[in-house]
Amino acid sequence: MLDIKDLHVTVDGKEILKGLTLSVKAGEVHAIMGPNGSGKSTLSYVLAGRGGYDVTGGSIRYQGEDLAALSPEERAAKGVFLAMQYPVEIPGVTTLTFIKTALNAQRRARGEPDLDAMSVLKLVRQKAKELKVSEEMLKRALNVGFSGGEKKRLEILQMAVFGPKLAILDETDSGLDIDALKLVADGVNDLRRHDRAMLVITHYQRLLNYIVPDRVHVLAGGRIVAEGGKELAHELEAKGYAHIVKDAA
Amino acid sequence: MTKPATAEAFFNEDFAAHAAELPGAGVPWLDQRRAEAITNFRKTGVPHRRVENWKYTDLKVALESANDVSSGTVAWKIAPVPAGVELFDLSNLADAPEWVSARLGKAAAANAIAAASLALARSGFALRVAKNTDVAETLRLSFSGDGHVRALIVLEEGASLTLAEKQAATGSFRNTGLEIVLGRNAHLTHLRVAEATNAIEVEDVAIRVAGDASYRAHLVNGGAKPARLNLRVTLKEPGASAHFSGVSVLGEESHADVTTEIYHASGRTQSTQLFKHVVGGKAQAVYQGKITVAEGADQSDSRQTAKALLLSPRAEADLKPELEIFAEDVKCAHGAAVGDLDADSLFYLRSRGVPEGEARSLLIHAFVEDALGEIAREDLRAELTQVVEKALPRAQEPLP
Repeated sequence: MLDIKDLHVTVDGKEILKGLTLSVKAGEVHAIMGPNGSGKSTLSYVLAGRGGYDVTGGSIRYQGEDLAALSPEERAAKGVFLAMQYPVEIPGVTTLTFIKTALNAQRRARGEPDLDAMSVLKLVRQKAKELKVSEEMLKRALNVGFSGGEKKRLEILQMAVFGPKLAILDETDSGLDIDALKLVADGVNDLRRHDRAMLVITHYQRLLNYIVPDRVHVLAGGRIVAEGGKELAHELEAKGYAHIVKDAA
Repeated sequence: MTKPATAEAFFNEDFAAHAAELPGAGVPWLDQRRAEAITNFRKTGVPHRRVENWKYTDLKVALESANDVSSGTVAWKIAPVPAGVELFDLSNLADAPEWVSARLGKAAAANAIAAASLALARSGFALRVAKNTDVAETLRLSFSGDGHVRALIVLEEGASLTLAEKQAATGSFRNTGLEIVLGRNAHLTHLRVAEATNAIEVEDVAIRVAGDASYRAHLVNGGAKPARLNLRVTLKEPGASAHFSGVSVLGEESHADVTTEIYHASGRTQSTQLFKHVVGGKAQAVYQGKITVAEGADQSDSRQTAKALLLSPRAEADLKPELEIFAEDVKCAHGAAVGDLDADSLFYLRSRGVPEGEARSLLIHAFVEDALGEIAREDLRAELTQVVEKALPRAQEPLP
C-alpha cells in the first residue's frame, strides 16, 4: 500500500527527514513513535501533501503511484486521510456542510455521483452515534468552540465517513483524557479492515494499549532507528527513547 | 457638463447655473439654508488626500481625472410606499410641511459632501413614520442617475421601520445626503447595497438617535472609483444605540471607503461595528472608525472590529479605528487586522478532498459570515448574502 524509500524532506531549507524507509501493507496498523523533533509530524504532512515540505530525495509510492506528485485533494480522493493533531476551526461553515462538501468533492474526483443531503446525513448520523458526536455538534461551525476531545472525535468521524485506504493519525491521543482516548481508540479499531492501512503516530505508548499495532517503528533524527512488534512500544515506555536511540547510533 | 476645469468648478458652476431652478428656490428658509451650505462647502472645498479624514479617498483627484462627469437630477424610487409611511417629494419643497422644514439639512453644516448635497440636490424625498407605528413591510428605496440627492427620514417616538437602500450602478457621479432622525424608542434597520460601478459615488448619512432608540446599518459595498460612505451618528440620550455591520467585496481597480463617526453624547449608550473587506485585484478597501465618548457619558459601551482579507499582492486595505474618550467609566474595544487566507485552514480543507479553488471560496464565505450574521431577519440576510456571493468571483479574479 505504502512504500517509502530513503526519503529526504526539507522544511525552510532544513533537512528534517534524512533517509526514512518504511513499508506498510494493506490490513496492517503501524505505529511511528519518536521523541519531540524527530520528524513525526513532518512525515504526516509530507504524506498528506502540505506545502513547504520539499521532497529532496527518495520516493513515496502509494498503491504503486508517486504520491509526492499529487495535490492534497488528489491524495484525499485516492484514499489518503490525515487525522490532524490540531484540526483547524472554520467559522461560518457548519460541520455537516463541510463533511458533505468534502465527501462529494472526493467522489466527484473519482468519477462517482454526488450523494444528496439526506444520504450524507444518514451516513454521518450512523457513524456519529458510535463516536458520541451529537447532532448539535454537527450543526455548529466546524471545530469552533469544540473541546480537544470533540475535535479528535470529529477527525475520526470524518475518517469513518470518507473510508480512506491509508489513514494517518498524527498524535491523535494528545490532549485526551482516558475516557476520550478509549472512545477515539474504539472508533479507530472499528475501522481496521483487511484492505485498509493505518499509520499511528504518537509520542506515548499509551494509545497503543488501545490501538494495538502490528509493527512499531522508532523515528529519531529523521530516520527509522528501531523496528519491532508491539512489545517494542512497551520497551520504549519502560526504558525511554534515549536508550533505544543510543543503541541504534 | 463634461470635463470640469477643477473639482471646485464642478460644484460652483452647478450652483451658479441651477440654484434659481432648485425646488423651492425663492422660499426664504430654503434659500438661506442652501446659501449657508454652499458657503460651508466652499470653506472646506472638495476633499482630497491631504485632508486627514479623506486621506485614502481623494475626491478632488477623482473628479479632475474623470473624463466625463455630469450633474443632473438623481432619480429615486420608493415602490410601493408601505402602509404607515408618510412620503413627501422634495420637488414640492415650496410647500414643505413643518416636519420637513424644521429638520431638512440641519445635520449638513460641518461636512463638505453633505453641504454640497444640501445646496445642489435637485431631487429627493422626506419620509415620516408616525408615533408608535410599526411598519411591517420593508421600504425599498433606490437611487439612480447622476447628481446630488437629499433625503430626510424621521421616525417618531416608538416607531419602527426597515429600509432597504440600493445605490444602482449607473451614472458618472452621485452624491447622496441622508438625514435620519430617530425619536425615543424608535428603531430603524437600514440595509444598503451599493452595486459595483466605475462612477464616483459618495454618500453622507447623518443619524440622530434619541433615548432607547436604535439604528442598525447593514452594508454591502461593491466598490466604485472611488466610493465613500460616511455614517455619522449621535447617540443623544441614555439607551440609544447604533450597530453597524458591513461587507465590501472589491475587485479590479475598485475602491470603497466606509468612514464612521459615533458620538456617545450621553451615558448608557452603546455602539457596535463589524466590518469585513474582501479585496482582490488592485482594489482598495478603507475603514475609518472614530468613536468619541463625551465627558460624563459614563457606562457607554463601544466595540469596533474591522478585518480585511487580501486576495492579491496588489490589493490594499487601510483600517483605522480611532477612540477619543473623555468619560471615565466606559467600555471600549477595537481591533483591526489585515491578512491573507489562512494557510492551515486551506491545507485542512484540501487534505479532505476539497479542491483549492473551492476551498478558497469556502474560507472567504467563512470570513464574511459573521458580518452578514448580524442581520437579524433571515430573508434579508439571505438577500444580502446572495449579493455578496454574486460579487465574490470578481474579487477572486487573478491579476492580468
